Amino acid sequence: MNAFLAQLRRSARQMLALSPMILGVIALVGIVRVLLTPAAIGRLFDGNWLHDTLVGTLAGMVAVGQAIVSYLLGGELLDAGVSLYAVSAFVLAWVSLGVVQLPLEVEVLGGRFTLLRNALAFVFTILIAVATVWSVRWVG
Amino acid sequence: MGGIESGCGGLRLRGFRFLGVVAALYLALALYDPHRCMAALRIAGETLATILPILAVVIVISAAIFWRFDPREFAKRMERHGAKKRRLFALVAGVLSHGPMYAWYPLIGDLRRHGVGDGEIATFFFARAVKVPIFPLMVHYFGWPFSVFLTLYILVGAWIQGILVDRIERGIR
Repeated sequence: MNAFLAQLRRSARQMLALSPMILGVIALVGIVRVLLTPAAIGRLFDGNWLHDTLVGTLAGMVAVGQAIVSYLLGGELLDAGVSLYAVSAFVLAWVSLGVVQLPLEVEVLGGRFTLLRNALAFVFTILIAVATVWSVRWVG
Repeated sequence: MGGIESGCGGLRLRGFRFLGVVAALYLALALYDPHRCMAALRIAGETLATILPILAVVIVISAAIFWRFDPREFAKRMERHGAKKRRLFALVAGVLSHGPMYAWYPLIGDLRRHGVGDGEIATFFFARAVKVPIFPLMVHYFGWPFSVFLTLYILVGAWIQGILVDRIERGIR
């Protein structure tokens, strides 16, 4: 049990060491959510599938919050006439990419790995969004 | 990134420079639009309140992992399993993990220092896009075909990204 408590202390200290960075990320979440409103996001799309997929991915990267919010917002965007390409990319980028947490990721995992991982995640988000829409249309 | 030695046992706090930049953004927002600044602070406070229990859970999970397994032994054991099993483990762990990505960085950073591969970490992070608890909500908003295809492609994408990261890093070395 003592060994577990020692590990618990060690883990807590590691988390504490990153606390200024984590607090910075959380504070940045507040600013992004205030500035990036659903109306502002909706104005970004123009109906062209390639443009919408790309913009959806970029908007999802910048947006922050619980995944559940991205579904609600995605549903609203669909109702507002935004294409499924845009919404798929937006919803997926929301949970797989994050500009806000990049400084922390670089700090902990290094710049090279962070760049490689996020570049791949960006490309795959676009590919998956397009493949999902094509598949949905294929099954009718 | 702005590390500072604290008084308690030589603990090195990291990220003060980044925190300073964010504080400057708040100051600019307060001067430009005080109401939005207050709203941003409120959201940040709510986010912090939501995140704290998750961070506590991550600390306990992290302690449990390193208590039960010596990190180097754990990494070696993973190594013995072969690439496919390791990637499958990362995939399942990613799907089951909860909370924001940044809450997992300390644990993942620790595992990486002890030998867990970058490919598995990339797989873990992308697999986190699958959200099992709110899957019914996704079906409600976007329908069954969309939800099933998206989930399937995320899992395949996470697997392929793990392979690509390993290959690219091997190529760089």
